Amino acid sequence: MDNTLIELMNVSKTYSTAAGDFTALKNINLKVNAGEFVGIVGKSGAGKSTLLNMINGVDQLTSGVVIVHDGGEKISVHEMSEDGRALWRGRKMGVVYQSFQLLPMLTLIENITLPLDFSDNFKPRESKARAMQLLELVELEGHANKLPAFISGGQQQRVAIARALANDPSILVADEPTGSLDSITADHIFDVFEQLVSNQGKTIIMVTHDSSLAGRFSRNLRITDGELADEDDSAESKVDKTMRRRKK
Amino acid sequence: MMRPRWIKVFHDLWDNKARTLLVVFSIAVGVFSIGVIAGAYQIISNDMSISYAANQPANVELRTIGFNQDVLGSIQNTHGVLDVEARRVFNMRVRVAGTEKWTTLDMVAFEDFEANTVNLLIALQGDAIPKKREVVLERDALNHIDVQVADVLEFQLQDGSTKTMPVVGIVQDTAMGAGDFLASPYAYITMSSLQYLRQPALYNRAYVTVEAGGDDIRHIRVIGADLKDKLEKNGTRVIRTRFSETYEHPLASTVNAILGILMALGILIVFLSSSLIANTLSALLNQHLRHIGVIKLVGGRRRQVFVMYLVLIMSFAALALLMAVPLGGQGAYGLALFISSELNFNILGYRIVPTALLIQVAVGLLVPLIAGLSPVISGSRITVLRALSGDLTGDESQPQGQQQTRVSWFDWMLIRLTRMLALRGIHFPRPFIISLRNTFRRRGRLILTLFTLTMGGAIFIAVFNVRATLHDYIDSIGKYFVADVTLDFDQPYRLREIEQMVMQVDGVAGMEGWQFVSGELLDANGEVLENINIFGPPADSVLIEPLLVKGRWIRAEDVRKLALSEAAYGYFPNIKPGDHVTLKIDGRAEDWEVVGIFKFVDREGVLAYAPYEYISKMNNLANRSYSFRLITENHERSYQNAKAEELDKFFRERGFKVRVAQAGRATLDTAVESLDTLVMFLLIMAILTAVVGAMGLTGTMGMNVLERTREIGITRAIGADDRAVMQTVISEGFVIGAISYVLAIILSIPFTYLLSTIVSLAVFETPIDVVYTFMGYVIWFGLVLVLSVVASILPARNAARLTIREVLAYE
Repeated sequence: MDNTLIELMNVSKTYSTAAGDFTALKNINLKVNAGEFVGIVGKSGAGKSTLLNMINGVDQLTSGVVIVHDGGEKISVHEMSEDGRALWRGRKMGVVYQSFQLLPMLTLIENITLPLDFSDNFKPRESKARAMQLLELVELEGHANKLPAFISGGQQQRVAIARALANDPSILVADEPTGSLDSITADHIFDVFEQLVSNQGKTIIMVTHDSSLAGRFSRNLRITDGELADEDDSAESKVDKTMRRRKK
Repeated sequence: MMRPRWIKVFHDLWDNKARTLLVVFSIAVGVFSIGVIAGAYQIISNDMSISYAANQPANVELRTIGFNQDVLGSIQNTHGVLDVEARRVFNMRVRVAGTEKWTTLDMVAFEDFEANTVNLLIALQGDAIPKKREVVLERDALNHIDVQVADVLEFQLQDGSTKTMPVVGIVQDTAMGAGDFLASPYAYITMSSLQYLRQPALYNRAYVTVEAGGDDIRHIRVIGADLKDKLEKNGTRVIRTRFSETYEHPLASTVNAILGILMALGILIVFLSSSLIANTLSALLNQHLRHIGVIKLVGGRRRQVFVMYLVLIMSFAALALLMAVPLGGQGAYGLALFISSELNFNILGYRIVPTALLIQVAVGLLVPLIAGLSPVISGSRITVLRALSGDLTGDESQPQGQQQTRVSWFDWMLIRLTRMLALRGIHFPRPFIISLRNTFRRRGRLILTLFTLTMGGAIFIAVFNVRATLHDYIDSIGKYFVADVTLDFDQPYRLREIEQMVMQVDGVAGMEGWQFVSGELLDANGEVLENINIFGPPADSVLIEPLLVKGRWIRAEDVRKLALSEAAYGYFPNIKPGDHVTLKIDGRAEDWEVVGIFKFVDREGVLAYAPYEYISKMNNLANRSYSFRLITENHERSYQNAKAEELDKFFRERGFKVRVAQAGRATLDTAVESLDTLVMFLLIMAILTAVVGAMGLTGTMGMNVLERTREIGITRAIGADDRAVMQTVISEGFVIGAISYVLAIILSIPFTYLLSTIVSLAVFETPIDVVYTFMGYVIWFGLVLVLSVVASILPARNAARLTIREVLAYE
C-alpha cells in the first residue's frame, strides 16, 4: 500500500539577485511516508531551509510540484493562493523555526491558541483546554500565563512546538529547531519530537546542519549545493526503522 | 477567553504608549482644529444674524443737521416706513471724576427709553433707563474707561468746563456700532440732559425700519433715498445715510470669510497630520512584519491581518475622537464667544453643533483610515517569507532580492565633498557624516516629515508677512486722511486764523484745512447706487499719498472733477479717467468728471477726493473750515496724544468751539488692533501646524532610532560613547530641520501671497500689496532648530541608553 504523505517532483528554486541568478534547489525529487522522522542535513547555504519552505508553502518554487496527500486527497501546495496556503498550513501542517517565532505580547497559552483562532477553530473554553493539554505535553503547564520573554529559549521552543500542534496536524516541519539551544536543552527538544513520532504518529521533517543528529532520524537526507541525496544505505525500510523506534 | 488576535491588537495599542499617543495626538490635532472652526462657523453664522435681528436693527440710518419732532413725524408718515426713532448723537471727552485720562465717547440722547423700538438696548447691569442727568454706558465703554455703576463721570464741555453725571447702568447695543470697527464707545442719556451738556435739543440721527423687504437691500436703499429727498426738501441736510438688512449682520461676510481662512488652515492641519499618521503607521507595520509573518505562518490570511490592523487604526481614531471632540466643542464655543464679544453680538449659549460633530467624527475616522490604508494593505499582502526575514526593514524602495550594490548619488556627492574639504584641511566630525547619510536613507519617510515641517514653517512665516502686509496697508490707508492731530470744531473758522494759532503751539509743523461733501452716486436712470463721501483737502496736501490705479490726483483748478476710490468699479466696471459720473448733492443731480481712480478699502463704500479750492466754494466756506489737519514734528503716538491734548486745551481756553482733537496714530492703532486679533488666530493655526511638524519629526526620529538599534549597537561595540550616539541622532534631526527651513522660506512666498490676498479680500474687499518682514523668518529659524533638537533628544537618549547586549539581541 502506498503510504506516501509528501511528494516533491522536480522541484527547483532559483533566486534572482543583483549578482546574477542563484539556484538554491536543483531538480529535487522526494517522497516522505506517513510516520517518518526525516532529517535533512546540510551545511549553511546548502538549500535545506529553502527545501523546507517549498514543503510548507512559505516560499514559491521556480519549477516542479509539491503534493501533500490528505485522506485520499492530493493537495498541490503551490497551486493554492497565498491565503489558501496560509489556511491549509494553519490546519494541516505545524511549523517550527530556530528563532521560535512566538508573539512577544501574548502569553504562552494565547500563543498556542493563535492557530486555532486563524483557522476558525477557536472556541473559548475548548481552545483553552486544548492549549493547556499541549502545554502539559511539553511540560510547561505551570507557565501558561507567562510572556515568552520570561521563560528560557528551550522553553520557548517547546511552546513553539505546542503551537505547531494546536490544530493537531499530521505533519510537522522544523527548521533548525535546536540551532540556538545548548546541547542539553536541544536534547530535550529532540525527545519531544521523537515522542510525537512514536506516540502520536506524526510525520516530521527537520532540517539541521548538525550531522551528529543523523542517528536520531528514521531517515536521513543530505543536501549539498541544492542537490538532495538519500543517506540511508541499509536495506531496512524507513518505515520499519520508525516502527522499531516506536516500539522502543 | 478573548480571541488571541484581539488580545494582540489590545497590546499593540497599550504596550507602546509613546507610539499610541503620537498617533492619537496626530489625529486629535486635526479633529480638534476642524471641530473648533466648523463649530464656531456654525454657531456664529446662526447666532450672529439672530442676535442682530432680535434687537430690531435700523434698516436706514440718516445722519443729519439737527431736526425736530415735526420732521420726525414726516419720516414716520413716509410710505414703507415701519418705525422710526430719532436721537441726538455727539461726542464728548469723558473721564472718571478725580482721574486724569480723557476718553472720547459718542453720547446718544433718547427721547424715551421705554418706547425704544429700533436698535434695542439690552440691559446688562444696573438701570438701563437713565433719568435726567444720569448716564448709561454701552459695555464696550468699560474696555476704555475704568468705571463701575454708581461711579461719577466728568464730561468736558466746549469751553473746557466740566459737568458730572453718575453711571446708573450698563447696556449692550448690538445694532448701533455693528460694522464699524472704529466707532467710539457709546453712552446714553435722555434728551432732557442735553441742556445740561449745552447741546441743542434737536435730533441729528434717524433710525428707520422698513415695513416689508427688510432683507432686500435695494428696497431699503430706495426708501432711504426717498427719506433723504423728503428731509432735504424740508431743509434738513442729510450728511450721510447707511443701509443694512435686518437678518444680515454688517460684518457677517467678513467673519465668514475669516472663518473660511481658518477652516482652510484647519484642513491643512488635518492633511499634515494625515501624513504624520501615514508615517507612523507605515513604521508600525514595518516593526510588525515578523508578527504578520508569524500570523500567516500559523494560518492567518490577508483579510484577517487587514482587519486586525484596521481595528488597531480605528482604536487610535476612537481614542483621538474621545479626546478631541469635547475639546473641539469647547474650543468652538470659546472662539464663537470671543468673536461675538469682539463684534458685540450675543450667542445663544453652549451647545453641541451636530454638523461640527459629524465633521469631526468623519475626519477622525476617515483620515487615519485613508492615511493607514496603504501601509496596512501592503503589510497584509506581504508574504510569510519576506515578513519573517524582515525584508522591509531595509529601504522599501529597493525591489525584493535586489540589494543595493552601488553608492547612492547623495552618498557619492557627500564622499566627494568630504574628501575635497579634507584635502583642504576641513574635517567634518564622523558622527555628523553618518547623520547626513542616515537622513537620506528612508526617503519616503523623510519626504513626509519634511512636508509637515516645511508646511508648518511656511505658514508660520507667511502669517508674520501677512501681519506686516496688513499693518503696512493700514498705514497707507491712513495716508488718505490721517494727520498727526485732527482738530474738529463745531463752527467754521478761517484758515489763516487757525494757522496763526496753531503755530504758537510748540511742535506743530504745519496745518491744512479740509472740507467734506456727501451725496449719492446715481445710475443712468437717476436711481441711487451708493453713498459717496467727497473729501476736500488742499490739492497740494502733503498729508495724502494716494495709490493711484489710473489717471491723476486732484488739482487746485479742478472744477467738478474728482478722484474716485476703486469701490466705484463695483458699479461701473469700465470706469476710467475722463468719464463722467452723476452725483446727487444737496438734492441736485450733477455731472462730475473722473480724473483718477485710487486704491482704497472697498468696505467703506465709494470715497472721492476733490480739491478744497472747489469744495469750499460749494459749501460757501471759502478760506474757512470745520476740520483742520495738523502735522507735528514728531509722529510717535505718545507725542501725538500729548499734542492733541495740548491743542484741545489751547483752543478751548481761547474760546474756540472745539469738538474734538484726536491723535492720528490712535485711530490707526485701533484698526491695527482689530486686525491683530485676526492675525493672532492665524498664528494659533500656524503654531498648530508647527506642532504637527514637530510631532512628525519626533515620530520619525523615534522610528529611525528603533530601526537602527542594531547599527547603534555595532557603533557602540566599536567604541562610540553615549555622547557620540546622541550626537549622531540629534544631528540628523538638525539636518532635517535645516532642510525644512530652506524649503519653508521658498514656500512662504506663495503662501504669503495667498493668505494676504484672501485676508485682504475678506477684510478690505480689495487685494493689497504684499510686504515681507524678516521677523517670521528669524523666529521660525530659531524655533525649527529648537524643535528639531528637542524632537531628537528623546529618541537620542533612548538610543544612548541601550546597552550593546540589548541592541545586538534586538529582535
